[in-house]
Amino acid sequence: MATAVMTRLDPSTRAAAHGWSDLTIRNLFIIPTILFLIVFNIFPLIYSLGYSFTDFRASTNAPANFVGLQNYRELLNDDFIWRNFAITAQYVIVSVTGQVLVGFGMAMLLNRDIPLKGLLTTLLLLPMMLSMAVVGLFWKLLYDPSFGIINYALGLGTFEWLSNPNMALYAVALTDIWMWSPFVMLLSLAGLSAVPKHLYEAAAIDRAGPLYTFFRITLPLVAPILMIAIIFRTMEAFKTFDLAYILTSQPTTEVISIRLYKMAFQEWQTGRSCALAYIVLIMVLAITNIYVKYLNKVKER
Amino acid sequence: MRKTLTGILAGIGLSLASGTSAFAQELTIFWAEWDPANYLQELVNEYEKETGVKVTVETTPWSDFQTKAFTEFNAKGSAYDMVVGDSQWIGAASEAGHYVDLTDFFAKHKLAETMAPATVKYYAEYPAASGKYWSVPAEGDAVGWSYRKDWFEDPKEMEAFKAKYGYDLAAPKDFKQLRDIAEFFHRPDEKRYGIAIYTDNSYDALVMGVENAIFSWGGELGDYATYKVDGIINSEKNIQALEAYKELYSFTPPGWAKAFFIEDNQAITENLAAMSMNYFAFFPALVNESSNPNAKGTGFFANPAGPSGDQFAALGGQGISIVNYSENKEEAFKFLEWFVKDETQKKWAELGGYTANKAVLESAEFQNATPYNKAFYDTMFKVKDFWATPEYAELLIQMNQRVYPYITGDQGTAKEALDNLAADWNATFKKYNRIK
Amino acid sequence: MAAVRTSSEVALNRVAIVAVLLITLIFLAPIYWIASTAFKPRNLATTIPPTVLFQPEISPFVKLFTKRSQLRTPPTPEEYAAAPWWERLVFDGGEKVVRDGKGNVQPSGYPSRFMNSLIVAITSTILAVGMGTFTAYGFSRFRIKGEADLLFFILSTRMLPPVVVAIPMFLMYRAVGLNDTHWGLIILYTAFNLSFSVWLMKGFIDEIPKEYEEAALVDGYTRMQAFFKVVLPEAATGIAATAVFCFITAWNEYAFALIMTNRRAQTAPPFIPSQVGSGLPDWTVIAAGTVLFLLPVAIFTFLLRNHLLRGMSFGAIRK
Repeated sequence: MATAVMTRLDPSTRAAAHGWSDLTIRNLFIIPTILFLIVFNIFPLIYSLGYSFTDFRASTNAPANFVGLQNYRELLNDDFIWRNFAITAQYVIVSVTGQVLVGFGMAMLLNRDIPLKGLLTTLLLLPMMLSMAVVGLFWKLLYDPSFGIINYALGLGTFEWLSNPNMALYAVALTDIWMWSPFVMLLSLAGLSAVPKHLYEAAAIDRAGPLYTFFRITLPLVAPILMIAIIFRTMEAFKTFDLAYILTSQPTTEVISIRLYKMAFQEWQTGRSCALAYIVLIMVLAITNIYVKYLNKVKER
Repeated sequence: MRKTLTGILAGIGLSLASGTSAFAQELTIFWAEWDPANYLQELVNEYEKETGVKVTVETTPWSDFQTKAFTEFNAKGSAYDMVVGDSQWIGAASEAGHYVDLTDFFAKHKLAETMAPATVKYYAEYPAASGKYWSVPAEGDAVGWSYRKDWFEDPKEMEAFKAKYGYDLAAPKDFKQLRDIAEFFHRPDEKRYGIAIYTDNSYDALVMGVENAIFSWGGELGDYATYKVDGIINSEKNIQALEAYKELYSFTPPGWAKAFFIEDNQAITENLAAMSMNYFAFFPALVNESSNPNAKGTGFFANPAGPSGDQFAALGGQGISIVNYSENKEEAFKFLEWFVKDETQKKWAELGGYTANKAVLESAEFQNATPYNKAFYDTMFKVKDFWATPEYAELLIQMNQRVYPYITGDQGTAKEALDNLAADWNATFKKYNRIK
Repeated sequence: MAAVRTSSEVALNRVAIVAVLLITLIFLAPIYWIASTAFKPRNLATTIPPTVLFQPEISPFVKLFTKRSQLRTPPTPEEYAAAPWWERLVFDGGEKVVRDGKGNVQPSGYPSRFMNSLIVAITSTILAVGMGTFTAYGFSRFRIKGEADLLFFILSTRMLPPVVVAIPMFLMYRAVGLNDTHWGLIILYTAFNLSFSVWLMKGFIDEIPKEYEEAALVDGYTRMQAFFKVVLPEAATGIAATAVFCFITAWNEYAFALIMTNRRAQTAPPFIPSQVGSGLPDWTVIAAGTVLFLLPVAIFTFLLRNHLLRGMSFGAIRK
């Protein structure tokens, strides 16, 4: 990294002959940040990579013993862990699909002359700005089968949202959809408003049906931005911790972050949890990589 | 605007600069969020009046009390000088050196004789029968039951019950009666349900609930001395007890899959259930008319007996320990000296705390102080507890993982759940070299 | 629009307006419910049918700020009469205010947690935006070999799940005594927000024409002077928007705060769920705490409305 920073400067920026040289300024501006991130983000990861090959427990004074790949082997053979991954995948699919459908639908509705459009959009964005943990807690009351307003408003009687093991994950996803559909809406709106009007006018002249217009003009043009929204939300949903942790404790909602938290800070299997953290990390980096590739592609256009 | 901003920034700067100042004249005790913690705050106010040392009781909800405490211990943090820790923690906390050894303190004040035997055995001593003590029994507690006396005493209900079951409707004496009464009052179309039990699997709530059945059936969790579990945790008695607990679950109000003390108290105040399991220490809210509109119609009983007449209850309660990383250990010892005095213990009971002091517990004054103190006194002599080994947290999670899906999710059979649990526990004990 | 609108289009538009209004109402209903619960008497918080019209009360806020315990014996009329209005509200709820040995009213944990949230969020925002702005300028104005890789590296640090980072950080903090301190949390949040602030600020600075600085350099400014006197003022809006985003992220963060703090530096998000009450839940108090906690964010959201899109997409999409 140091070599990258020490490369020769672009001569066109070397306009100032006095004061600090551009090289100094550039290094002064960039290196502290890179160092800060290395010390507080990369170094800890190297530290935990080491522990992932040991049976270390932070709760005892016993020294860590090297156990090789045993942690990784056991984790990958653990049915409970695979179930946690399956639950996480299910959660990601349900919640992201829901957000895209609801968010894109809202954007389609809003993408026309609507009075107070600015105000309504801002109001709709409120849920995603709020703390998941704090607002999520309140959803427990809303979902309550005996005195929650959701069952009352929908006439569902004593329908069990969070207590039914088969429903709980959907209930958590529903709250997530409530919070984050506006995000998809916001990005979709940006995409929709960028579609040139003359394309629609041309389609109207050709007497193209609304379905044809949607699938041949709207969707292809909005797709890149929508894709950003999807990747972004996928990544966040994969990391989900707060909402599921606060709303329920069902085994059917134990996403991988919760399992990791329990392993590390309740069972204190520090070495093993470092190994699991690495498995999760590799998955997240893969998604991030796709995301950044896409981001650069969109920015280039 | 600029002034406010400067003000805020100055405030922040000050707080950051002062950091973690440790005044010797202050002690902090960590406990869970419940009424006894407030009573303890009132009690320690007396200490401040006497000595000028300010003592603060800090609390956190039950569901994350263990996690918070052990995160702090394992961080070797000095935020708390003393902790009123759960009975199961004692193995983990003493072996890892989180607690200060109180054996000499115990001997000096003859606490093994003045405190109730169950509290000394489960809250203070580790390993079992070693004569080494790590905490001073502070709050005795066990699981008991509250019930809707007004529903039970309704003549129409009494008549209908007698006609259906052939005996009088009254507070249940055994689990058979408990089941019958739960079934009798379970009327979903009237929005009335039979029974409220513990089902929360995030800490020890569900396990405590199941223990009530297992212990009263005459079963055990395992041999605490030899770590043998196979044939004990999955014994025929325990299978029956687990099946009985699952049957009780079918008489609970809707949405009862994450119930702990809050939900169980609510079952009484919100007219949801006829009977409700809870720790005695959570009962003050039920006799308070402002928080429980049914306070006058609420009664209490001890955990009923099992089929063979065994009657036991799951132990709750905590001892107070000095945290090894505290910067004020001397002061903490002085505080404990004051705490174990007879008059302090008496005052503690008056304020609503469940003292472990034998003399106070046996006094008529204590037993008549509340509608449930007598039931509490009876229960405290028939309590049993969970594993106290250092790896208890893993054992707890494994029990939750095996038992919870069976009870609330209707998955598998009781035998399968307990056989699997026996295998899990065996593997865990092997891992920690408790057994070969 | 120049196009002639047919009657079917007008009808469609009307349907869309109604639908949008309806959706907005549904989306805001939970927030309204939180806000209204904060002013309800305790017994009206969990009624069926839900209570919509009620006499608003201030008692949830009084309870929020005081440490209370169950009243075991009702206060005597003299005690009640001598009590200030807010203490009477607590008495009315069947509780009493807990006092310390000197008779001072004990505050609940809420004010100190709120203060911790302010300290941590503001300090980490200043650090993240400050460092981020310098770094973004560096990336925007100088040619850097492997720029894309470096930027990817910076971004990827933000993508790590908090629990993954928390395990080694916990062990490192334990070694240096940073667990449960303001600085411990500030460092984590700064690291977390720094990548975000670099990306966002780079976008804003890219938009400032290079010619401005070049003109300043010709006028005899040094590059540092040009940066401070020309670039920073031009980027002011961007800096403000970035700061608000960083603030909101730090303000709302839960997982790190849950793991890395305990008492001294605990922030509000892990604390508020712990206010469930000691025996019976008191949703009105939780709601009151929630309302105060959400208020700053709600205000900022309105101030920020024109920059939301850009902020939420890491500067990838500009309006």
